[in-house]
Amino acid sequence: MKYLNIALVSLVALFAANAHADVTLLNVSYDPTRELYQEVNAAFARHWQATAREKVSIRASHGGSGRQARSVIDGLEADVVTLALAYDIDEIADRARLLPTDWQKRLPNNSSPYTSTIVFLVRKGNPKGVRDWDDLIKPGVSVITPNPKTSGGARWNYLAAWGYALRKYGNDEGRARNFVTALFHNVPVLDSGARGATTTFVERGQGDVLLAWENEAFLALKEFGSGKFEIVVPSVSILAEPPVAIVDRVVDKRGTRKVAQAYLDYLYSDEGQDIAGRNFYRPRSQKAAAKYAKQFPKLNLFTIEEVFGGWTKAQKTHFADGGVFDHIYQPGK
Amino acid sequence: MESQTLYRTGLTGEAIASELLALPATKATRSRATPTSETRVVQRVLIGAALAYFALLVLTPLIVVFYQALRKGLEFYMIALSDSDTLSAIRLTLIVAAVAVPLNLVFGVAAAWSISKFDFRGKSVLVSLIDLPFAVSPVIAGLIYVLIFGLQGWLGPWLAAHDIKVIFALPGLLLATIFVTVPFVARGLIPLMEAQGKAEEEAALVLGASGWQTFWRVTLPNIKWGIIYGVILCNARAMGEFGAVSVVSGHIRGATNTMPLQVEILYNEYNYVAAFAVASLLALLALVTLAVKTAVEWRSAQGAPQ
Amino acid sequence: MSIEIVHVTHRYANFTALHDVTLQVRTGELVALLGPSGSGKTTLLRVIAGLEHADRGRVLFDGVDATDIAVGERRVGFVFQHYALFRHMSVRENIAFGLRVKSRKVRAPEAEIRRRVDDLLELVQLQQLDERYPHQLSGGQRQRVALARALAIEPRVLLLDEPFGALDAQVRKELRLWLRSLHDRVHMTSVFVTHDQDEAFDVADRVVVMNEGRIEQVGTPGELTSRPSSPFVQRFIVDSRMRVPG
Repeated sequence: MKYLNIALVSLVALFAANAHADVTLLNVSYDPTRELYQEVNAAFARHWQATAREKVSIRASHGGSGRQARSVIDGLEADVVTLALAYDIDEIADRARLLPTDWQKRLPNNSSPYTSTIVFLVRKGNPKGVRDWDDLIKPGVSVITPNPKTSGGARWNYLAAWGYALRKYGNDEGRARNFVTALFHNVPVLDSGARGATTTFVERGQGDVLLAWENEAFLALKEFGSGKFEIVVPSVSILAEPPVAIVDRVVDKRGTRKVAQAYLDYLYSDEGQDIAGRNFYRPRSQKAAAKYAKQFPKLNLFTIEEVFGGWTKAQKTHFADGGVFDHIYQPGK
Repeated sequence: MESQTLYRTGLTGEAIASELLALPATKATRSRATPTSETRVVQRVLIGAALAYFALLVLTPLIVVFYQALRKGLEFYMIALSDSDTLSAIRLTLIVAAVAVPLNLVFGVAAAWSISKFDFRGKSVLVSLIDLPFAVSPVIAGLIYVLIFGLQGWLGPWLAAHDIKVIFALPGLLLATIFVTVPFVARGLIPLMEAQGKAEEEAALVLGASGWQTFWRVTLPNIKWGIIYGVILCNARAMGEFGAVSVVSGHIRGATNTMPLQVEILYNEYNYVAAFAVASLLALLALVTLAVKTAVEWRSAQGAPQ
Repeated sequence: MSIEIVHVTHRYANFTALHDVTLQVRTGELVALLGPSGSGKTTLLRVIAGLEHADRGRVLFDGVDATDIAVGERRVGFVFQHYALFRHMSVRENIAFGLRVKSRKVRAPEAEIRRRVDDLLELVQLQQLDERYPHQLSGGQRQRVALARALAIEPRVLLLDEPFGALDAQVRKELRLWLRSLHDRVHMTSVFVTHDQDEAFDVADRVVVMNEGRIEQVGTPGELTSRPSSPFVQRFIVDSRMRVPG
């Protein structure tokens, strides 16, 4: 009888139109933020109903950051974009002119309401003894990372490794390049997004160590029980600042600027920061940072500006067509 | 004496041969190869190999899908399927199939009819065009539509100015699905109609039937089973298409994800059982398709005139 | 109805099927088009029917130019070599087809159609088989259905394309005689195509000998045998008739 009820309700819901919302927003985001924004969206909807007395429905789309940016450029009508790195949003501004090129200044902290970093996820007991970046280039160690061409997380991974090598070899670009080349020799497969790489490591059991967003690593522990995996914190890593932005052309066309702005502001609010911390993103606000301090391991972090002179330079040198990555990684070699 | 009797009764050569071969009937004789069939042993090995291949590559994954889907019990299975994003994916898949299949049916019948009944310039070009979607990777197909209808594409600015959404909306999904399923009805019908020839149509015309009457009363009933077969295949592919749809979808939850895309999303959220649950629906569709197809073949082999 | 073919030429791609063919068929005549394969006889028949439109020349029915009239409006009866019966319709439905597709205004009431079909079934002696389907009939029976179907629309001329070609020798002989007697009863202008000269000579009033798209000679069987007008006719008819014993 229970099954029949479920079936009937589903059948009706199948053909009933969605309950009518007063306004809808589309948030085009990167791969690992699914759980974060599920929580944020529900909370924001409640908040907006209470304050503006309007019913807002937030649709989400997730995928590799580069790929999502490409979709927005091709016409995916995002009211807001919450991507993995500033360069991807720069592309949307430059190529499609959907928002101004100085977008990053419009919100606090370089438009990044939370930060993250890159850590290692290994199997319980750490059988290959991976402690730091050096261990990743040892023969017989299989490293899982997504594809820097499509995934934001993958680019952070790559730059973190390069940054480590620069530090180790006294800023010698040549030796850093050798290091990263050796690392990619140990990579058996490239997924298109961070979540795909996590699934490859966790569910399909491939690889010895996963280079992951810190929040991804924590989430994997939570989903699968810490009995199966461990987080290994490297000696140094990169400060990842995934930014958010309003897409001006879209919100003006759809008349959703007010809601979209409020949505992004919400991410900086106490509740928003709390949700971020709860989902293993390092919050910016003092209050939330203090609350979740114990959760996050202490790390030596460098920024992309310090080591690479910013995203535009880094993208051009390493990830553009014909850049360093194209020369380093030739599958099958 | 014996052979004379056989000859006089007017039996055909085949009958005579089988008579002779049957005497005397021993075990050895029965398993000897005849001119047109293998020995028992060879038959068994070949059939066994085919079945093993099938079991390994098709049956096993199918069983795994259902096993994984029901791993947490029937209740979880039904709740997983009634999640609003999943329901929306099911609805979208049904809508896409409901539009793509009839369109391809009309086109397929029209194309097959022109190709098999007439000679015209560009006929071979049309035949090649129909086969094109089979040769092109589905991802490329999706990309083509992005290049044409995307914001940076040929028609992009015009579409944006008129607020018409093609890519990342239902029309884009339809285009991608239609493209990859175009050949099914046509390819099934063309050889059938060519084998049937034009004589019946000519007879109808001479008897005074109009073009439409000829098509409706003579051509259509003759290709009924071919149409059914083509529609079944077309539908299965329309519902299960992943690559082309993935490129033009935009992956907006609850809006532009079809069932195959939803399976990927659920899988990527560590929702394995739910992913397999949706996959099991698609697998069920495959099984139903197969059953209907077998029934159709059986009926048409019976030569049922109606 | 008389048929006149005037200077008809017809080409398929690079091949000329009919070269400037001229022929008269008198009302009530039974004429055979006789010749080897490729002689153009079937093409000529199809041009008369309207299934092909001659590249050059005219076709006249009773002196009226019918060249540009559509095939469905010519009121000809056509019997195909392989019968072309509608495989998904019963014998009755096959015969009734031509009567059923007429436009509302001209169509006879259902009872009338039934009556006509019954008459035709009697004519071709297939009353018991009216609910059978084509695949359940023998070759000879199918051909008779095809004939009845063609006659149903009361055509002005009957055209038969190698009507007995797909049947075995015994049945062919029987049907041949039956066709002749039918013609004697009905007196419809008829043209039939064959490559079998025994058949042509047995059945037809006059025989048109064709070769490579041209008419070699037209005449009664007697005239052709005694006065062949060309070496081809000589070889094709006279010599081979001599060779066949009895």
